[in-house]
Amino acid sequence: MTISSYTERPGHRNEEADGLSVPWSRPSPKRKGVSARAVSAVTILVVLAIWALSARLQLVSPVFLPSPLAVWNKFIVVARDGFVDATLLQHAVASLARVFAALVAAILIGVPVGLAIGISSVGRGIFDPLLEFLRPIPPLAYLPLVIIWFGIGEPSKILVIAIAMLAPVALSTASGVRGVSQERINAARSLGATRAQVVRHVIVPSALPSILTGLRIALGAGWSTLVAAELVAATRGLGFMIQSAAQFLVTDVVVMGILVIAAIAFVLEFAIRRIERVLVPWAGRE
Amino acid sequence: MPHLVLDKVSIHYDGQAAPAVERVSIDVAKGDFVVLVGRSGCGKTSLLNVAAGLVVPARGHATINGRPITAPGSDRAVVFQNDALFPWLSARENVAFALRLRGVRPAERARRADALLALVKLTDAGDKRIWELSGGMRQRVGLARALAAEPEFQLLDEPLGALDALTRERMQTTLLDLWTASDVGVLMVTHGIEEALVLATRIVVLAPGPGRVVQTFEPGFSRRYASGEAIRTIKADPAFAAARGELTDAIFEGEVA
Repeated sequence: MTISSYTERPGHRNEEADGLSVPWSRPSPKRKGVSARAVSAVTILVVLAIWALSARLQLVSPVFLPSPLAVWNKFIVVARDGFVDATLLQHAVASLARVFAALVAAILIGVPVGLAIGISSVGRGIFDPLLEFLRPIPPLAYLPLVIIWFGIGEPSKILVIAIAMLAPVALSTASGVRGVSQERINAARSLGATRAQVVRHVIVPSALPSILTGLRIALGAGWSTLVAAELVAATRGLGFMIQSAAQFLVTDVVVMGILVIAAIAFVLEFAIRRIERVLVPWAGRE
Repeated sequence: MPHLVLDKVSIHYDGQAAPAVERVSIDVAKGDFVVLVGRSGCGKTSLLNVAAGLVVPARGHATINGRPITAPGSDRAVVFQNDALFPWLSARENVAFALRLRGVRPAERARRADALLALVKLTDAGDKRIWELSGGMRQRVGLARALAAEPEFQLLDEPLGALDALTRERMQTTLLDLWTASDVGVLMVTHGIEEALVLATRIVVLAPGPGRVVQTFEPGFSRRYASGEAIRTIKADPAFAAARGELTDAIFEGEVA
């Protein structure tokens, strides 16, 4: 997940809408040769095979690398019986609830801030340096301060995730606003739109594809902040589960937790792309 | 009588040594179809933008019905070369945009938008998405959207420039039909010599460096169309060919290359 992508002007919406495709790889479905998807499938199978083989041959101690089968079994056991007083589903729900609460907060603050940056130079003067300051700080660095200020309760955890999400949302919104075609704005003004109506009826909908891209990047950033947010005084959550397991060297739960986090991230990414297709079907077709 | 007047307008862009346009006067009355033609760099689009209120002239005055033009307004609807439609709205909602800004009720909005879509021969396209429409259809939606504001003047910035030759021909008659039906004053910029002759009641030829008026024609072919003559008969008239020669000479007069 690169952070450089949302500081650019979204001149090529279709490329931005698909962050996985690189500009130089043509999306033509009729291309000859092997498909990227097939190569990906083979890659995953090879990694799994190496993993299984090295576990089987005991190249590495099971304490460090449990076999895929052991991890799968653990998945079943934790899903059914739980680990540290909660089932896998309860851990996942706790984590998801935090990330979504943080996402709502990041949208409520980040979208207006991004609009202010994109629309007015005063707004840009105020918020740009703040965001540029906040953006590169790793969550683990500000976690202690957040705890000192807001305690060890749920709000602190949500805040840590929300801070990580704020910059992507705001900067994507701002770049979307800056990318709005001047002709469209002029057309609206000549049809009698006031400044406020231009913002509401032209700028916000025009920036929507870019805003959604920001949400997608933010969800990734927030999800990867999860473990840090659940470092202190959590009793539930996937990050908490991994850390508890690590303290007792229950490596199979650690690996299983990592895979579950990865799987959920994958599903979220997929879901947002679906939402993009429904909400902004015009993106890349103009 | 509504009047759109540019009086000795000079346009000077920031950071450029020479003015883009110097002392150009254009007068558009209601019912006029004034077309600006000229080689690139003669400032025709800049002049249109002054009339639209998007560019402020360095010297001279732009007025509409005697009031100075300081900002865009719905009394002067602009249609751009790239239609500038809103892709998140259907064709009907695009046409109804000006009405929505004014708080017209949805049912009334839809009714009037459908009437305008019928006027530009897009009766069944109301529910279509913008990207489902061809270039010519999109430009028709753009024209209907501009008419919905019930402007006194229409400012057309190369509205047919992005269309293929055949669609262009057909759109010329559409423009004439709209003009005769709605009785607005039109100020249009084009590159097309034949297009200017077919459409204009008055052609203003501009030359670059800096942009200035070199000649004015009153071709009168559009009046003949308005009084019922077929467009093909008009174009086949030897007078049309003669006028085309004259206009071409005026446009390229003094050009070195």
